[in-house]
Amino acid sequence: MIFREVEDRDLVAKARRGDVEPFNLLVSRWEKRVFNYLLRLVRNREDALDLSQEVFLKAYQNLGKLEDAGRFGPWLFRIAHNEAFSLLRKRKPEADAPEADIDARPRHSFPIELSLAVENALSRLAADQREAVILKIYQGFKFEEMAEVLSCPVSTVKSRLYTALDLLKETLAPIQTRGVQ
Amino acid sequence: MTCSPYDLKDFLFGELSAAQSRELEEHLQGCSECREEFERLRLTQTALHSLREEEPPRRIGFVSDQVFEPRWWSRLWQSGPRLGFASAAMLAAAILIHGFARPVPVVSRAPDTAAIEARIGAEVARRVEPAVRAAVAESEARQAKKTEELVAAERKNFELQRDADHVAIAETLTLLQKKYNVLQVASADWGTRP
Repeated sequence: MIFREVEDRDLVAKARRGDVEPFNLLVSRWEKRVFNYLLRLVRNREDALDLSQEVFLKAYQNLGKLEDAGRFGPWLFRIAHNEAFSLLRKRKPEADAPEADIDARPRHSFPIELSLAVENALSRLAADQREAVILKIYQGFKFEEMAEVLSCPVSTVKSRLYTALDLLKETLAPIQTRGVQ
Repeated sequence: MTCSPYDLKDFLFGELSAAQSRELEEHLQGCSECREEFERLRLTQTALHSLREEEPPRRIGFVSDQVFEPRWWSRLWQSGPRLGFASAAMLAAAILIHGFARPVPVVSRAPDTAAIEARIGAEVARRVEPAVRAAVAESEARQAKKTEELVAAERKNFELQRDADHVAIAETLTLLQKKYNVLQVASADWGTRP
């Protein structure tokens, strides 16, 4: 993580001087994380991809406004957060995305029932709770970084995450206990 | 609610200090209720990790791609002072034009159909006449050749017919000569009889 910060800082500094290739490297490094964050938040693959594109475009255009080049990651996710919630606000409340799109995604080695249960449980959360879970569980941000991304106090971040975890626990813990694994 | 001295979720996410963690671990060993609650949290966390990251279906556009090139209107829009001066200049120009310029009467000119027709006629003549001339010449040549062939064929037929007539006439003359000779002989015989 320290190495990554150092490298991000260097890449941002070079990109600010007008060198294109360092920004290309930043995109390569962060595109998967940003895409997955947006995918789980907006729950639609095409929207997530379009938003990812927009996020990197805005990041490039506003690179000069990034105060601390070492904080590129949280800053990038801040842009992604704004883009995602801009889209979610345009959608009807609680109608985040068509279910079919989530069902159509490629799967993995875990039991399909468990994956479906997790996706279903996540979809029932409020968008800000779901986002807290995504940033912590899937993106591995520290609480301070989450607060930076979400532009709110750490206590608020924790509150959202812990409430979400209590809700998820009601659904997911019994499934795990029954031995789906 | 649990009787834990610290939030179990803080413990789950490693937010407690080493000393706090040790204290909580000791508590969990002696409290089945807190232990079960912590186990449920841990199972929930494990379940959440069952979702894997996906690869983006398409590559995100890089800086060198067209999508990162600011469009002309974007560049113009972002250049505030230039846009301001341009707007002011356009407004001033519009006021001046409105104040001083007289509307120019618009004369609607009917199209000069005669000239157009003449031009079309000339063009048609220029293009069609040579073609017609060539076609006529070609047709005439074809007709002449055909006539010549017909005349030749007719002449040949005539000659054949003439030859046949000559033969027929000669044969007739020969036949008449023979008949005449027979009559001569007969009349000679008649004169010598008693």
